Amino acid sequence: MELQAVLMAAGGGSRMMDLTYNTPKPLLPVGNKPLIWYPLNLLERVGFEEVIVITTKEVQKMISTDPKVKLDVKMKLDLVCIQEDADMGTADALRHIQQKVKTDVLVVSCDLITDAALHEVVDLFRAHNATLSMLMSKAHEFTETVPGQKGKKKTGEQRDFVGVDGTGKRLLFMANEADLDEGVVIRKSIMRKHPRMHIKTGLVDAHLYCLKKSVVDFLADNKSISSIRGELVPYLVRKQFSKSTNSPKVIDETHQNLKKNDSNVNLEIQISSRDEELLHLTQERSCWNDHRGDMSDAYHGGRLRCYVHIMDEGICYRVNTLAAYIEANRLAPKLFDEPAVHPSAVVSERCLIGADSIIGASCQISDKTSIKRSTIGVSTTVREKVKVTNSIIMHGVTIEEGCNIQGSVICSNAVIGRGADIKYCLVGSAQRIEPDGEHTTMSKACSA
Amino acid sequence: MSSRGGKQKKGNVTSEQEEEEQPLQAVLVADSFNRRFFPISKDQPRALLPLGNVAMIDYTLEFLTSTGVQETFVFCCWMSNKIKDHLLKSKWCRPTSPNVVHIITSDLYRSLGDVLRDVDAKNLVRNDFILVYGDVVSNIDVSQALQEHRHRRKVDKNISVMTMVFKESSPGHKTRCEEDDVIVAMDSKSKRFSMVTDEFEIRHDLLDCHISICSPQVAELFTDNFDYQTRNDFVRGILVNEEILGNQIHLYVTQDGYGARVSNLQMYDSVSLDMVRRWVYPLTPEANFTDQQGQGCTHSRHNVYRGAEVSLGHGSQMEENVLIGRDTSIGANCHISNSVIGNNCTIGDNVVLDRAHMWNNVHVSSNVEIHQSVVCDGAVVKEAVRLNKQCVLAYNVVIGPNLSLPEGTVVSMHHPEEEEEDDDDEFLSDDQEVGHSKDKTRQKAFNPAEVGPEGKGYIWKASMNDTEDEELAQCLWGLVLNPDPESDSESEASEESQDRTFQLEVLGTLQRGLEENIVCDNLVLEINSLKYAYNITLKEVMQILTRVVLEYPFQQQGTQLTTLQYTGSLLPLLKTWSPVFKNYIKRAQDHLDCLSAVEELFLEQDTHQTAMVKVLMKMYQLEILEEEAILKWFSTGATNDKSRQLRKNQGVMRRMSLWRKESEEDESSEEGECGR
Repeated sequence: MELQAVLMAAGGGSRMMDLTYNTPKPLLPVGNKPLIWYPLNLLERVGFEEVIVITTKEVQKMISTDPKVKLDVKMKLDLVCIQEDADMGTADALRHIQQKVKTDVLVVSCDLITDAALHEVVDLFRAHNATLSMLMSKAHEFTETVPGQKGKKKTGEQRDFVGVDGTGKRLLFMANEADLDEGVVIRKSIMRKHPRMHIKTGLVDAHLYCLKKSVVDFLADNKSISSIRGELVPYLVRKQFSKSTNSPKVIDETHQNLKKNDSNVNLEIQISSRDEELLHLTQERSCWNDHRGDMSDAYHGGRLRCYVHIMDEGICYRVNTLAAYIEANRLAPKLFDEPAVHPSAVVSERCLIGADSIIGASCQISDKTSIKRSTIGVSTTVREKVKVTNSIIMHGVTIEEGCNIQGSVICSNAVIGRGADIKYCLVGSAQRIEPDGEHTTMSKACSA
Repeated sequence: MSSRGGKQKKGNVTSEQEEEEQPLQAVLVADSFNRRFFPISKDQPRALLPLGNVAMIDYTLEFLTSTGVQETFVFCCWMSNKIKDHLLKSKWCRPTSPNVVHIITSDLYRSLGDVLRDVDAKNLVRNDFILVYGDVVSNIDVSQALQEHRHRRKVDKNISVMTMVFKESSPGHKTRCEEDDVIVAMDSKSKRFSMVTDEFEIRHDLLDCHISICSPQVAELFTDNFDYQTRNDFVRGILVNEEILGNQIHLYVTQDGYGARVSNLQMYDSVSLDMVRRWVYPLTPEANFTDQQGQGCTHSRHNVYRGAEVSLGHGSQMEENVLIGRDTSIGANCHISNSVIGNNCTIGDNVVLDRAHMWNNVHVSSNVEIHQSVVCDGAVVKEAVRLNKQCVLAYNVVIGPNLSLPEGTVVSMHHPEEEEEDDDDEFLSDDQEVGHSKDKTRQKAFNPAEVGPEGKGYIWKASMNDTEDEELAQCLWGLVLNPDPESDSESEASEESQDRTFQLEVLGTLQRGLEENIVCDNLVLEINSLKYAYNITLKEVMQILTRVVLEYPFQQQGTQLTTLQYTGSLLPLLKTWSPVFKNYIKRAQDHLDCLSAVEELFLEQDTHQTAMVKVLMKMYQLEILEEEAILKWFSTGATNDKSRQLRKNQGVMRRMSLWRKESEEDESSEEGECGR
């Protein structure tokens, strides 16, 4: 076993509270599959047979009752629960399962929907004996109107500055706009080693990381790091060029000071892990080098290396906002080929269903309805003369006669009254919309 | 203004009509406007200094001619007559020359800016022109860069005003000079200087060739902005005002050309060797491109060049990369490598030359050793002299015999003080009247200890006086900058150091507050702003504040204070700053935090533990701390043995209860009094 897969599925979905009010984020339906199915499927496709899923009690309970997850995933799921209220970050979670980690790990977030070739990331990890390799993608502009939002809202997220070397693979620099006071500061010593640095903005981190086992062990000793993305990755990226990790002499010294419970010391000991000596010998004997222009050794003698694979094309979404959720639903059908209309759904012959729509299992679609670019969840009832466009209807929803639903998200078990006209709305779960009402751009989520 | 507008219009019209027919023009600045080559450039302008036995300006002109320049304006200032004479004698001023050279001299030029303003005033350029210095050695074919530049100008409606030529060379390359270390942010697609786009590239592997292709606007911009002195000013100005003026600067990166500016002796050394090693092909020593009679030489293995009539003594070895000018004779058993020797030199027996740059008419006696040094025209090196690295013997200096010059010695016939007298003139131009102080110079005798018993010349100290400019000007060999220590202490350490700096800042603020009698409200404001600047939590602010205040007496009067002295100086301070404390200590938790900070400090200062009670008492009296908080802290707070000990040993509780009673009594008595 080369890599152990770890799926982080304990996030609360704090950036789309309206949706996660009743359904935990990992189980939000996307294209009539729970969100967590997508990363699981991704792992299964590349041949993982076992995956550690870190999640909450609530999700665990629902997974064991949710037929979908059981149905489609043949991998062995090792569910690990963490306390919801403990406010654990991703790194905390990784520390939590340290006992289970026997080898290098591949950490995936449960909200990742991608068709990326995973081997690209893993190959970087293997080829350079990297400490960290990660996946990034060009950011997408979300074109769809977001329910409950009037006009286009500028995404308030701050830009990330990502610096890669000339080959575009080695990760040299990482900073968030928020942390920068006066422009980007890059150390000259880095520039000297990597004279060409591309600084990119407008990238999204897919939250998919290959990490050395030693990093997990390092986490166990450094309780202060709580988030992988927020703290661990920037730390590792920075550490690549620190002198203490680079000069072997210091490492020798630290070997002697094993007892010292200092964070640096620990990392270095772990980085120079067991087969390091053999690798070192190989590197010495080899004439291969990762750079040109000066006479120093490959990697400039550094032992810590971070790499990134940046996807040029393909789908890569992180479903952590409403806008991303809607976009993912629109694209999800392209990721798998299954009949758009579930065999168990009862669909009247005299209705119009667009090819870009999905109808879930045991749905009932009545006469004279028209469904375009929409997803209809499991056991939803749609009555006569209903028009649904550009919408996401979760499961168990009842839509009465003559409704017109456009660009909206209707959460599970909602009931839409007869003749209601809903445009760009978000209807929370188990809500009732009064008959003949007209609603535009509102969100009716947790008002109950 | 109207004339300006008219001129611009006219310029545009002509450029559109005759763009193709216009001859390519160049502006060659034959003055460095600095004193980097002093004292050598006291006798000879930099552009005329020989590099590979050819004056540097000839390389520049050859480079311009070979890229197709048909009209060159040479601007001279310092020693313009010498440059003029040189050019008039050279092949450039022959009627057959493809490149028409106009020489423009003025004593008023003080900077590149002045030259370009003059270009604009005289309306010399009609189209895009190449701007170079007279000390640039290059074989880059600029025509492609020129094409790109013109294309951009056509497409973007004259937005791009300048294209700078860079050569790719990794950091640490020997022709990269530490002084001129550039880091460039560019847009990789459009090759534009910028940092505003979504994606840009930062490059540290570029060498500035100091060749730029300018549009006529550049000269106008220099006129408009009379404060632009150098090209750097210009580039900075354009980049800063990019959004207002809409001008852009592009760069052209060449991978295989050679281009470097001889900006100091370090560069002189490396460019000279590059020349001998044929990196600047086709500008090689044996090519005799200046077309001067008798300059020809032969090229043999290991890059050994010999001019006409060179005689080499028995057993002398020319290892590699050696250029020897005509009529030079070399004695027996010499060892020469990586060196350039000029015309009419005589070199004695058993001489070792390594990276020596000898100009014309140099006389070197036997048993001399020269390492990486420059020996100018007419210098005489007597027997058994050793020149260590980076020595300079200026014109007509005599050294020796039996002397070893330490590293970096500069010897000149000009007295350094004569130079300083001229320094009244603030500008760093080379055009000073040297003559007037000659008499004075003569009076001063040569120091035989410095230049040897038969020596003639004065030692120029690499003086490190006042300003940085001065330092640069004096340092012939260029700065040797140590690579910045690759300290990583940052971040992890910086978290702590952040607290530490914050602590220092708070200390400074309070100190100033005391000295200048600043109101406490303002102090609070300042501390608050510091809090945001260093991203410190409120809790930490309070702890640090407490610590700073309690340590203040130590800070001011040293650590050898007795407890009595300590409390004596601290208690008034507490009183002064109590409003500051009150501002931060509000909630019950704050009280506890403050107390724990006090405790922590006194655990460290264990000799002063007795003072703690007094401090607490004072803080209570000043209503900084509440009674309940103190009691709670006392009863629950003991976390480790030490702090428990502290509490026990000092009998804090006992005293505190005592004092509590006192205060209660006070209160009750007051009440009582009131009641009465």
